[in-house]
Amino acid sequence: MTRNNRIPKTKGYIDYTLIFIILLLLGFGLIMVYSTSSYEASMSQALHNNAAYYLNKQAFATIFGLGAMFVVALLPYHIWEKVAAIGYGVSVVLILLVLTPLGMEINGARRWLNLGISLQPAEISKLAMIIFLASLVVRLGGKISTRRGFLTVLAVPLPICFLVWVVTQNLSSAIIIFSIGFIMLFVASPDYKKFILLALGGIILAALAVFVVVQLSHTSFFGYRGQRIRTWLDPEAYASDTGFQTLQALYAIGSGGLFGKGLGQSTQKLGFVPEAQNDMIFSIICEELGLFGGICIIVLFLLMLWRLMLIAVNAPDQFGGLLVAGVMGHIAVQVILNVAVVTNTIPNTGISLPFISYGGSSVMFLLIEMGLVFSVSRSITFIGD
Amino acid sequence: MSGQDRRFNKKMQEKLVALFLIVLLAFVGLSIRLISITRDNGEQYKKQVLSQQKYESTIIPFKRGDILDSKGNKLASSEKVYNLVIDSKNMLRKEEYLDATMSALTQCFSEFNETDVRQYINANPSSQYYVTLKQLTYDEIAPFVELMNDTKNNPDIKGVWFEEEYKRVYPNNELACDVIGFTGKDNVGSYGLEQYYNDTLNGVNGREYGYLSEDETLERTVIPSSDGYNIVTTIDGNVQQIVEKYLYEFNEQYKNAARAGNGANNTGCIIMDVNSGEILAMASYPCFNLNDPRNTDALLGSRFVNDKGRIEYEANSITEENMAELLPDDVSIYQNLNYMWKNFCISNTYEPGSVAKPFTVAAGLESGRMTGNEYYTCNGQLHVGDHDIKCHNYKLGGDGTLSVQEAVEKSCNVALMLMGRQIGKTTFLEYQEKFNFGLKTNIDLYGESRTNTLVFNEKNMGETELATSTFGQGYNVTMIQMITAFASLVNGGYYYEPHVVKRITAPDGSTVKNISPRVLKQTVSAATSAKIVQYCNGVVVNGTGKTARPAGYAIGGKTGTAETIPRDKRNYVVSFMGYAPADNPQIAIYVVVDRPNAVYQDDAKYATRIVRSILTEVLPYMNIYMTEELSEKELAELEELDITIKHPAMEEDETGEEGEGTAEETEDVMDANGGDITSSTRPTDEEMQSDNVETAPLTGAIFNIETGQPVSEADENDPE
Repeated sequence: MTRNNRIPKTKGYIDYTLIFIILLLLGFGLIMVYSTSSYEASMSQALHNNAAYYLNKQAFATIFGLGAMFVVALLPYHIWEKVAAIGYGVSVVLILLVLTPLGMEINGARRWLNLGISLQPAEISKLAMIIFLASLVVRLGGKISTRRGFLTVLAVPLPICFLVWVVTQNLSSAIIIFSIGFIMLFVASPDYKKFILLALGGIILAALAVFVVVQLSHTSFFGYRGQRIRTWLDPEAYASDTGFQTLQALYAIGSGGLFGKGLGQSTQKLGFVPEAQNDMIFSIICEELGLFGGICIIVLFLLMLWRLMLIAVNAPDQFGGLLVAGVMGHIAVQVILNVAVVTNTIPNTGISLPFISYGGSSVMFLLIEMGLVFSVSRSITFIGD
Repeated sequence: MSGQDRRFNKKMQEKLVALFLIVLLAFVGLSIRLISITRDNGEQYKKQVLSQQKYESTIIPFKRGDILDSKGNKLASSEKVYNLVIDSKNMLRKEEYLDATMSALTQCFSEFNETDVRQYINANPSSQYYVTLKQLTYDEIAPFVELMNDTKNNPDIKGVWFEEEYKRVYPNNELACDVIGFTGKDNVGSYGLEQYYNDTLNGVNGREYGYLSEDETLERTVIPSSDGYNIVTTIDGNVQQIVEKYLYEFNEQYKNAARAGNGANNTGCIIMDVNSGEILAMASYPCFNLNDPRNTDALLGSRFVNDKGRIEYEANSITEENMAELLPDDVSIYQNLNYMWKNFCISNTYEPGSVAKPFTVAAGLESGRMTGNEYYTCNGQLHVGDHDIKCHNYKLGGDGTLSVQEAVEKSCNVALMLMGRQIGKTTFLEYQEKFNFGLKTNIDLYGESRTNTLVFNEKNMGETELATSTFGQGYNVTMIQMITAFASLVNGGYYYEPHVVKRITAPDGSTVKNISPRVLKQTVSAATSAKIVQYCNGVVVNGTGKTARPAGYAIGGKTGTAETIPRDKRNYVVSFMGYAPADNPQIAIYVVVDRPNAVYQDDAKYATRIVRSILTEVLPYMNIYMTEELSEKELAELEELDITIKHPAMEEDETGEEGEGTAEETEDVMDANGGDITSSTRPTDEEMQSDNVETAPLTGAIFNIETGQPVSEADENDPE
């Protein structure tokens, strides 16, 4: 369909490849959610032993999300530029609402809002951040290349990150939100040097932290974050407590082999990998479908990011391009971090796999983001070769 | 438009591509990481997964369902038993644990071997699972559990736990062994109901498994097991017991008579309710103890079975002396055990002989080829094809001129062959199939034989084959085929599918499925059926079956004496197939004696006497009223049995018995309202059930002298 790097530039362009990839990931995600959750759900008295409990909830959120995506895709995306600042404010308010009686506690973590349906404000913040930063960069214009402009864009996500981290005790989402901001800044700023320096600085800082933690391994100086790092370095030493989840995920991946045990045949999901339908779903995919299945999923995400890049590059204006770049950054960061956690490449932190992991808010807002992308792609005009 | 119509500038486009390349790099890196995990640690992790599967989740066994007789008595059930497991690791946590635990175990379990266990613990200090004593009952472990739970006085008993499992128990040992079958440790049924209803009886194992809670500690969850369904059979334990008693008695009487060994290769008996196809009793001898099916003592007296699964007639019977020689290895032992475990009544095939004659007559009458008013002349033999086929009294010059009824009564082969000519091959074969010969009856027991290749068809039935088939030689049948077809001949023509299970119930007692009688076809008309009953009644009144009649009753039936292999005119299968009462058949009985242990085997009385003994007890038990006068001798005989029958728990039967004893004096009274008496005094199934379930265990319900075994030394007195 595509000849070279160019998209056929006709007004109202619809990226069918992207639609196909999204539907494939969603369908596959539902199958895997059922595969990973049905056993534990059927054993749970609290869920009335309904094996399809998680599947049903996820399917509902998916259908709802697809509807929202369709609506957003039909709206001209410029209307979001006008409400960007409001969106930023609303997401702050929603995060704070978690502290009120509207907040909901699930599995000991207070991260949800009960607004008829349960909603995770952190997911809204990601969307709001993408829109707000895109409009901010457009407004800054050339000033982005100044130190002041650079620091402004870098600083904007920080309050939200801080709130998500402190109020909802959700470091993972805070990291993702910051990363989205960082990536959008990277795309918007013409500079390379600053980013290389920042990245190097970050790596050195992280290495230093690890070094200190290892040196002080006999003290609990760094609390449970230190513990996480020690577990990361040697999960087997903590096999019965903090290393359990990571190690079980590794067992799952390793035991799957090249082509896996077959769909539905995982033994690790039977109580060993806790809540296998959430963050650790990728390990069960590897166990059931093998290395082959795991890498297929990675390639699918790569294709999706490729399509997003093409749309961003061809976007009719900066705002649209930055929106798509933000979505691209969001998905890329989550996929990379999720797979990295599951393979114990980085210390364990709860990050879900986009479109596949169980989680209604996540899939809904991801689909709304995809709606923005389609809205942008519809506005691509034919200029001629 | 808001005026910012600036396109994405080149720099940004370049940055986007750079971003994509960075992401691509990260993806490649993660893929390599995935590959390396699978390649480097795959095998190790695979083993890890398997090993923790065992450790983290334990199976909670289900209880296999019970097998009950028609009155609710247990024929087979599963009892919870306990294995004593030693957890060395736990026991060695503190020094004082070991000695305290060892002394408690020695004190409570007589079979406990302290030195062995100590040795094991020393050698395997990290072991957490070592079974020392197996299949203990609750009563056996109770004293120890009490000690262990009394943590105040015995704080140091540690590292011992009990693993639960179920053990299959057959409370009546040999009773109905062929019908029930047995079950191994793994809940896999072998033979009989245990195999046929294996999936119904089995439940689903539960599991106890570990999982990680939110605060990252391991917790355990228990999924309870679901127990299997019970099956309620149509077998009446008391009738079954009577049948087995007389099969055993027969064997006692004739064993070692003409040669060393059992009273016959096999004796089998089926009693069936003719109006439903329900099997009330089914037994054969030799039998075996279901609680110990592999005990080779049960083979003593049986003929040796070779590696083709066939009896070897040249070899001697198995005795204690020659067992080691005849059965040198497991293979030969299992050949012989397998032969014994088979249900003779449904698995063994043989030529039926003259009991097939009523079927030939029925085919003739029903097809219209015969009217029933024919006369046949027998000169002792008939020339068929190239053979002279002899009648049984060929030496006396034949039976002379016979009516159809007389031909059946005297069991005249010549008359039957002449009928066969009248009927013709095609019609004869058509009726063979109607009577289900050559087809399975589909009784709900494991191991029914296929006989489709053992019967004649249009192609291979010649003149001679037709002639011999009319009197039951040349084709093979199973006992269950014969009695099921015969029941249809005497009940008005309804062919019921024979069945042993009438109800399947859930562990809580609720009914899962009722299995009601099923009419498969109509074999003959009611008129033909009535004629067959008339002829068969004649057999017992005037003919060859006189000795089958029990005291006080009129019955009907047909004898059979069939030549069998080795075909040297010295090996016979003798049988009697009958029904009672004569005027309104309720039950059918079929006894087959396969090669009785006698010099001259060709005497149907080997079978008729067993039938007589069984019916003498079974008919009164079933509350069927006596209609015939009793002679002095019969009175004496009944009185003797009365003494044996008496039992305080069965008062109902006792009064019933007395009523029947005096029946001859008050015959007219009974005739006047016989029907009413029958229906009012005969307890319904439900009443009987509720009476028997708790109070009267099966063993001893009737035979209080007996030891609970269906075959016992106490009954040495010969009824005749």
